[in-house]
Amino acid sequence: MPTKDCRGEKCPRESKPNVLKNPVNRFAPILLPAATAAIFLLIWHLLVRLSGSDLFPTPLDVARGIQELVEKGLLLKYIVASLFRVSWGFMLAVLVGVPLGLILGWFRPAFQALNPMIQILRPISPIAWIPVAILWFGIADSAPVFLIFLASVFPITVSSMAAVQNMQLVYLRAAQNFGVTGMQLFRRVIFPAALPQIITGIRIALGIAWLVVVAAEMIAVNSGLGYLIIDARNAGKRYDLVVAGMVMIGLIGLVLDLLIRRLERFDEVKWGYGQR
Amino acid sequence: MKLISTTFLLGALWLVLISVTHGHLNLKWFAPKVAGTTAAGDKFRIGFLPVTCHLTCPVTDFINQQVEGQSMFEPVRFSGWPELKEAFLSGYTPATFILAPMAMALREQGVPIKVVYLGHRDGSAVMVHKDSQIYRMEDLRGKRIAVPNRYSNQRLLVFRALKQANMTVQDIELVEMPPPDMPAALYSKAVDAISSGEPFMAQTELDGYGRVLWLTKDVWPNFISCVLAVHEDFIKNDRETVQRLVDGIASSGKWLDTTMENRMDAAKFVSKNYYNQHPRLLEFVLSKPPDRVKYTNLALRKPDFEEIEALALQAGVIQKDVIFEDYTDASFVPDDSAVKAHAYQGLQGGEVPPRK
Amino acid sequence: MDNAKTMIEVRDCWKSFPGKKAGEQVHVLERVNLDVHAGEFVCVVGPSGCGKSTLLNIIGGFIKETRGTAKVAGSPVNGPDPRRIFVFQENGVFPWLTVEENIGFGLMSKSAAHREERVAHYIGMVGLTGFEKSYPRELSGGMRQRVEIARALAADAEVLYMDEPFGALDFLTRLKMRADLIRIWQAEKKTIVFVTHDIEEAVQLADRVVVMSKRPATVAEEVKIDLPRPRDLDSPGYLGARDRIFAIMGMDVHGGGAGDPR
Repeated sequence: MPTKDCRGEKCPRESKPNVLKNPVNRFAPILLPAATAAIFLLIWHLLVRLSGSDLFPTPLDVARGIQELVEKGLLLKYIVASLFRVSWGFMLAVLVGVPLGLILGWFRPAFQALNPMIQILRPISPIAWIPVAILWFGIADSAPVFLIFLASVFPITVSSMAAVQNMQLVYLRAAQNFGVTGMQLFRRVIFPAALPQIITGIRIALGIAWLVVVAAEMIAVNSGLGYLIIDARNAGKRYDLVVAGMVMIGLIGLVLDLLIRRLERFDEVKWGYGQR
Repeated sequence: MKLISTTFLLGALWLVLISVTHGHLNLKWFAPKVAGTTAAGDKFRIGFLPVTCHLTCPVTDFINQQVEGQSMFEPVRFSGWPELKEAFLSGYTPATFILAPMAMALREQGVPIKVVYLGHRDGSAVMVHKDSQIYRMEDLRGKRIAVPNRYSNQRLLVFRALKQANMTVQDIELVEMPPPDMPAALYSKAVDAISSGEPFMAQTELDGYGRVLWLTKDVWPNFISCVLAVHEDFIKNDRETVQRLVDGIASSGKWLDTTMENRMDAAKFVSKNYYNQHPRLLEFVLSKPPDRVKYTNLALRKPDFEEIEALALQAGVIQKDVIFEDYTDASFVPDDSAVKAHAYQGLQGGEVPPRK
Repeated sequence: MDNAKTMIEVRDCWKSFPGKKAGEQVHVLERVNLDVHAGEFVCVVGPSGCGKSTLLNIIGGFIKETRGTAKVAGSPVNGPDPRRIFVFQENGVFPWLTVEENIGFGLMSKSAAHREERVAHYIGMVGLTGFEKSYPRELSGGMRQRVEIARALAADAEVLYMDEPFGALDFLTRLKMRADLIRIWQAEKKTIVFVTHDIEEAVQLADRVVVMSKRPATVAEEVKIDLPRPRDLDSPGYLGARDRIFAIMGMDVHGGGAGDPR
């Protein structure tokens, strides 16, 4: 981390560079992506029109599809169902993955015993687990929760493990110097030192968890955004609803990422993300 | 630490909030319980697909609700055969509508499955793109045909049609595809012909790009693709319930074939409450022509199954001779003539009431 | 201070590490002898990479000597000890704790009132009043070193091991830190072993400068700096001591020889 040294040492808290001065800059973070989206929608619309296909929907068809879902009250239901499964699967993955990763990162024998197993299980796509999930859990909410758990637990475990292994030795030595050992060492030093990297892993895992929701809901659950897509395929020529499901998944994914990014702003972990 | 406590607090709050909302919106936790009804979890589940071969499943559910106030079972809709089969294997659905050859194959592999009743007769077709030059079976030489599953009767149907045309399976290319994906595949000409249960065949016709090459009734009269099957333990432990189930399904079939009004009503309420399709599709399938799919004469008959067995053996779907008496239990409806239609007057021109 | 009791006693200490090739040993320390009295301020200088830090890590308990003995306060060093605190060259301040939490780190077993009192006292002593709730990333490098020193003092360490603590600071900050360190040392009467490659720094700070040879390092010579504090950097005594150490390390300051230009 680059050090800013202030002469005379009474260094004031760093102030953020003032981007608010220029009005163009102020709106750029909103205008630029909005412009990109508008161009994208326009190209989409034109391509559908030019192709002459009446199967693939235009952006307007999709908007009407979303409106229809809202009017039927389905959209909220489906979003809630998907968020419910992702929330539980993901939270369980955090509760299992972080402690497991910390243990694997710290205790060498645990690492040697379990790491090969984890590396074997990790690359297996959650889709491959679908039959197993149905056989074990039936098709109630527990099966998709299990699939989302599987998809997110490995990135969390591996990043927590790496976080401990990459921890700066100086923190450990300082702590040992003060006579801190055992659980105290874990709680007061190893965990907080690893936390920024753990949070990065958690963020990536949340993205994956959300990504898996469509696959997880292909199992015959009867709600959710993934189900919306499968259901729309059943319903004949309702590809507007298929794309509507995709759009909603994308938008909610964006919101989830923005939310989880807020974790990185906490004082305890801000140090781990360099200068922003 | 502030981060940890805040995250845990907000996370726990979020979990409670989303669980309660989900419970309210999707699981109906807080819906007032009508006296005498049981929660959905207490009923046994039946697996089905949104195809006309399984139509008696939602029809029975709907009529039970209308006539008796509640259904005896919980219909569970799947999108593909593998999931439907796995849910049955896991015991999640102790009863299921399933492909007849798939039931035979499962029995052969040691799964305690018992076929108790037929789902339908006929109700399948082979569709080609209307722009194509395919008018006879022989024109399919070297072409790609989509069937739902290797265990599907549609595949056997193609085998039979090939035989009648003095062709073999080497002359064509067979691919497996979930029925809901077939219309789009035919539209984009990714395949040259498709064959699955209705209404996916009729859909291509309605949307103006599919043409019937032949209906099943033309090639294989009284064709059976799907059957109602239950777990053997279900019969052992609760014969009475299975009897009620089969009676209900049989009465629904009879009801469907009593008048065209009944069929049109079924098209409406099944489309709206179960299949989430446009009613026009089912109306089309169930009426044009009226014998496109039939729901009477559904008692199990040995010769029908022996015909399927022979084709299945030939197609390599089953490995050895399976025994009719082993994989079926025909005792629930020994005689079709005894089956009575549900005493349900239909929608009487009214709106479709929502499923409870 | 000659008659004060011996705090640190290193006798015939050897240290070698396994080399890159199998079976090869890299000898870092050879036959090192060192005594430090209680309350004494000793600087260890030597060419970079000679093993000064290794020696400090041995008496600090982070590395085990290959041969010989290292005793602190009469008993052999057996791992790190809260009574002897290391001040690291890199930043040993915990970035996830505030200034006051860092300084109170070694006092977790004490009562809250006692802890608060000591933390406040040492925050004042190192001149960080007003920054109690700040996080290390909001501080300058010099301020972070002050936090680390205060953390060691608050834990009531008898001995401070300082491993080039001011190495990453700019020139003016370093001068100020030296003056403050002397002031704190005079107030607290701690024993300090201070490793540096900066000879001027050593002469400004120490009661005694231990000059080490190139690797495998041993103590080349000890130079007593018997000058009153604050030290006059132009006095003949200061310049003489400085030049003598330069000479021991094989560099001729006046002739513009190789080595550290400072």
